[in-house]
Amino acid sequence: MREENKEIRIRSIDEINEKIKRGDAVVLTAEEVIKLAESSGVEAVAKEVDVVTTGTFGAMCSSGVFLNFGHSDPPIKMVRCWLNDVPVYKGLAAVDGYLGATSISETRGLEYGGGHVIEDLVSGKEVVLRAESYGTDCYPRRHIETVITIDDLNQAILVNPRNCYQRYEAATNSSDRILYTYMGTLLPNYGNVTFSGAGQLNPLCKDPSYETIGFGTKIFLGGGVGYIIGEGTQHNPEPGYGTLMVKGDLKQMNSRYLRGASFYRYGPTLYIGIGIPIPIINMSVAKTVALRDEDIFVNIRDYAVPSRPDLRPIIKRVSYAELRSGKVYLGDRKVPSSSLSSYKMAREIAETLKKWILEGMFFLTKPIEPLPKRGKFKPLEIRRKEPKVGDIMNRHVIIAKPNDDVNSVAAKLVEKGIDHLPVVDDEGKLIGIVTSWDLAKAIAYNKRRLDEIMTRRVITAFENESIDVVVRRMAQHNISGVPVVDAMNRVIGILTTDDISRKIVGGRNVT
Amino acid sequence: MRVKLIYSHDVVEKPILASIVLKTGVPINILEAKVNAQKGELIVSIPATGDKLREVLNLFREAGVQVQEFTETLRIDWDKCMACGACISPCPTGALKFKDDWSIEFDDEKCVACKVCVTACPVRAISLP
Ligand code: SF4
Ligand code: SF4
Repeated sequence: MREENKEIRIRSIDEINEKIKRGDAVVLTAEEVIKLAESSGVEAVAKEVDVVTTGTFGAMCSSGVFLNFGHSDPPIKMVRCWLNDVPVYKGLAAVDGYLGATSISETRGLEYGGGHVIEDLVSGKEVVLRAESYGTDCYPRRHIETVITIDDLNQAILVNPRNCYQRYEAATNSSDRILYTYMGTLLPNYGNVTFSGAGQLNPLCKDPSYETIGFGTKIFLGGGVGYIIGEGTQHNPEPGYGTLMVKGDLKQMNSRYLRGASFYRYGPTLYIGIGIPIPIINMSVAKTVALRDEDIFVNIRDYAVPSRPDLRPIIKRVSYAELRSGKVYLGDRKVPSSSLSSYKMAREIAETLKKWILEGMFFLTKPIEPLPKRGKFKPLEIRRKEPKVGDIMNRHVIIAKPNDDVNSVAAKLVEKGIDHLPVVDDEGKLIGIVTSWDLAKAIAYNKRRLDEIMTRRVITAFENESIDVVVRRMAQHNISGVPVVDAMNRVIGILTTDDISRKIVGGRNVT
Repeated sequence: MRVKLIYSHDVVEKPILASIVLKTGVPINILEAKVNAQKGELIVSIPATGDKLREVLNLFREAGVQVQEFTETLRIDWDKCMACGACISPCPTGALKFKDDWSIEFDDEKCVACKVCVTACPVRAISLP
């Protein structure tokens, strides 16, 4: 027997719609239903409540809009296209395009992008349309530059491949420098924790086994009406990380619920408001709609480790209640925590959807297909050989001892034509580094021993690290070389920007 | 209150700030410092009001330091603010926090003008002149 059949039906969606039509449906927001369950129990929820409204308002990078510009005269087959200098994807028919939320302005950089253009369109602002083509017999025009508003577009259809994460992992930073990420500003040394998602108001958290939410479910999307058109990309329901693919008519939406945003040094995105009505059709839904922040858990991950999201170390497992309290205990330290998504807006969305239903403006739909209960969320394996630090580094590393004489070391650097000299103790462990510039200064100021002038906080690399990660580290610290050390901090090589540019040519091949 | 202190060539090497701290007992907090042999500019926050504040400012002036008061503080564009909270936990002093209704509250007195929140805000609703 399938699990769904075991549930005793309380009311059907048709019955609820009849009540909405008559004006006597009982609709509560997710927060209100939690209070009811706490005071009167889940049975009261099942008996008294027809619909629970949910809401979320957060950054959703996998969003964008299909646009149809209409044909100019003479017509153009747009091959490349920009709106306010933000590239629009043009691998579609002549005047169709897709503007993605994270597309970056070619003139204003990371501060302005697709998300901002979408907000500008929705608020009725004029937007500069520019396009280029090679010209064909049927589409002779090769350039176009004009100004449009959303009213000039034939269609503007928001189609978002992944929205409305059921929950999302929180973030912190163990490193000694500030990190600017899509999880916001992360202060050094576990200075703060950021998180996203509305927790107890979050739509998929309230129906985690997808008994009522599915293909064709009508929803609140960006202030207008939208539909769920399937599971989202990276839909991973088993551990509780389901996602949705949604669509809706941008022309009906409201810029209060679609906000262009930009995370500093990460880039543009779009904040979207989504609300989903959950009909109380059976006891199991009556139970899950009453889940509270205290019952919904996520991991806090360390964004200082430059690995893919699921490999970043888990620092702690916490509930949304703890995250939202503003303080999270990491060990015995109290660390400030705050959200990136807006709980206030999530509340407002749940309230608005409730009002729509109570006023008979919004009816529920029966999904034509449930969301898949299983997902695929595999990492991308790299099958081509990619150089690691160990492939490029110089293993014949010249080293020095802390009590070496400055003049003889300087002579050695000149003779070997090198710039970086790791300083090691008697066991070969790294204790400092000296560059040719340090030596020039040392000689000028008459210093004698290396340990008087060496830099003791050395930036290093490991043999199995990716070149890109180490190149970024060198750029951040404004240095041109790093000693490569083993797990015991013994120097086994040296990697310089010269080695990298000499050995990686053209593509990514090691010569 | 936040002020900019401009030290001329003649006074830049004297321990003026330290002696004023000792004399008045006001723990002046340095927010930003640009000092070289010719000139120095400090932005400081002085946790004092009324007569005490006037005393501190006068002592700086008497010592030959030019004092510029900041009248402008952090500005939040409430029409833009979506109450996300991205500015709250990065703020080192707790000057930004949620109210009971989950909108944002800013406490001018706690702000040390570090500007961390300016870049942390994803809709650039915060500015500091
Ligand atoms: S400027 Fe610094 S101290 Fe002031 S509110 Fe912003 S983050 Fe907090
Ligand atoms: S980060 Fe910006 S939008 Fe978010 S709460 Fe702070 S001021 Fe408002």
